[in-house]
Order: sequence, then structure tokens, then C-alpha cells
Amino acid sequence: MLLLGIETATRRVGVVVASEDGMLGRVELGGHADDGPPRHAERLVPAIQYCFEQLGVPLDHVSAIAVDVGPGMFTGLRVGVTTAKVLAQALRVPMIPVPSLDLLAYPLRHARTLIVPAIDARRNELYYALYRAVPGGVQRASDYEMGSPEDLIAELEARGEETLLCGDGVLRFAKLFGDVERVDLAGPAHAAPSLAALAELAIARYEREEFCGPDGVLPLYLRKSDAELGFDRKEG
Amino acid sequence: MTFHTDSPADTQSLAAALAGVLEPGDLVLLMGELGAGKTAFVQGLARGLGVDEPVTSPTFTIVHEYEGRVRLAHVDVYRLERVQDLYDLGFDELVDDGRVTVVEWGDRIEHLVPTEHLVVRIEPGAADNERVLELTYHGARWHERRELVEKLIDDGTRG
Repeated sequence: MLLLGIETATRRVGVVVASEDGMLGRVELGGHADDGPPRHAERLVPAIQYCFEQLGVPLDHVSAIAVDVGPGMFTGLRVGVTTAKVLAQALRVPMIPVPSLDLLAYPLRHARTLIVPAIDARRNELYYALYRAVPGGVQRASDYEMGSPEDLIAELEARGEETLLCGDGVLRFAKLFGDVERVDLAGPAHAAPSLAALAELAIARYEREEFCGPDGVLPLYLRKSDAELGFDRKEG
Repeated sequence: MTFHTDSPADTQSLAAALAGVLEPGDLVLLMGELGAGKTAFVQGLARGLGVDEPVTSPTFTIVHEYEGRVRLAHVDVYRLERVQDLYDLGFDELVDDGRVTVVEWGDRIEHLVPTEHLVVRIEPGAADNERVLELTYHGARWHERRELVEKLIDDGTRG
């Protein structure tokens, strides 16, 4: 089987092509804050095209499409999830949605500590979840949460456990998290959700036939509000 | 601090002068009724940021983006109804990611934006084409730049 994976939950654009024997190729673009405004819409499709051209494989050999559905950067997810759905529809292949925080935690599965990935949610907030290593992977031990760095620090201090933090949200607030006792920070290599993890987790799910059609794939948006915008609409 | 302008062109010059202090990440909220001159203000701001394209109102498209010395996002929140609409626009990322963001009808969203922002309120003056522009600075970065802003505007609109 041939898998195409798309990952756009942070500033980085990620594309991976893999088979059950492992990763065939991947492209990662951007991600650094100095890179200027992220350009997911401009970069994603050319990156997919480049991968398949260089690998010499036609796109219609793809048998499933995996996509990171967040939580994460709103504009990135919109581009990534839409592109993945359109391709799945056109190629008539199933989809495998995978949450961003799972992809950040999975590469750290050999840590014997609490594993906490956190993605920058803007306006001084983070998306995060707590994970523990289990044989062969990680298991989520909390809901997908949204809160300030201070909220997360309070939770970690209350637990007082050895903890490994990762993700671009942790890097953004590295000074704050660096001062918390018994907490370690994974570096820039663990800033964006792992493409290797996307390939590995998605192929395992494909083999267990845990997939769905494009209709079943929606971004995980944690920020919701029913409030109306105030307006005295004075007519001119 | 308030400034008086005598024509749309004059309002544009004032905005172009203000553009001199703008940096990536800056947020400017425009307030004022229909016809107050908010779009004229943005046109001047764009000119001051080195944007070559014509600037038109984004009332129906919500966001227009322009390339200049700094990227400019021109947002009109008149048609948004719910807080969720603002989230669905990716507004936080727009402001956060290396551009200047200027918002028409900014009073609708002021309670939802970062502390650091500049408010420009445009009111009609005594004469027909006269406008009174009131600048209010919010956050440490804007307070630091206050004197510079006022000097640039004085220099830029004199004569």
C-alpha cells in the first residue's frame, strides 16, 4: 500500500509518502518564526507534487490519505484538511485523520515520564494533552485542552511528576516552562508534529481498516464561541 | 491626541505618515460611522507601507491582503455576526504572523483583540469635509511610540 500524509497544524508544511515498509520520502517547509507569515496554501500542493515526481510514483497509486486534523493553527489546518479531502475524493481512497498532539507525543514514547505536547494556539494560549508511554506507543491521559501557559504550569506543579514537554507552544514559552521543577523541554526537533509518526500510526490504522471517507474528516477546533458580536449598527 | 483633516486626501496623508511607525504584528482598529473615511484612511496607510495595488473595501470579502514594506491585512468586520466568525477567519493568526492588520468597525471586536493595539476614531468635523481623528494607544509598545507617531503625523501633514 502507498500512503500520502499531510501535516499542517503548525507553521510548518509537512508531506510524507510511505508504504508498510517505511517512509519513502518527506518534505518539510517553513516552521521558523523568522520565515514570515506561513504560506500553507502556496506550499502544500507543490510539496506533494515534488515528492511524487522525485519518487517516480504516480499520484493515483496512493491507497490512503492520512491528515493531521489538529488542534493547531487555524489557517494551516484549513488548507491541509481541505487538500487531503479533495485528493481523497478525486482518487477515491479512504482517509485516516490523526490528531496533532498524538503526533507530537508518539516520537517521545521511550520517555519514562509524563509526555505533554503543547501547540501554540495564539492569544497567549496553548492546545495540549497529557500522554503516557505504553508498550508500542503512547496513550492519552487527558482531554485535548486549551489554556494559558500558566494553566498548564499549575497542572504540572500540582502533579509534581517528571514531565517531558514538546511542541511549538513550549518553545514559544520556553522561559516560563524552563523554570518549572521536574520538567524537561524537548528542543526544536520536536516543535512540529512528526511525519514519521503520521506515516507509522496511519499505516497501522489502515491495516486494521480504521479509516473513513472524506465526509468523516473534520478539523479539531477547540476554540468555540456562541457569543454574538456587539454592534450598535447605527444606520448612516 | 486628536488631529483635524480637511479632505479625504488629507486623511490619507495623515495615515501615510502613521505608516512610518508600523511594524509586523501591529494592530490598528478603526472606528467611525459609514462614510467617516475609514477606507480612505486605509488607502493612505497602504500607500505609506509601500503598497502599489489599489486598495478597495473588503466589506464582502472580509479580508484583503497586500504586499508592501510590511504585509498589510485590511479587515472589515461589519458583516461578522458572532465571535466564532472571527475565530473562523483565523484572525488571531492574521495578527500574530508578521503583518500589519487594520480593522474597519474595530469597536465590534475590541474586547477580543490583544492588549497591544492602536485605536483610530474618525468623526465628522464642523465643516463638510472636515474630519476629527482621535488616536488612543493601548499597551506598552504603543505608549512607547506615542511621541514618534505624533511627530511623524505633524511632519507629514504640515502644509
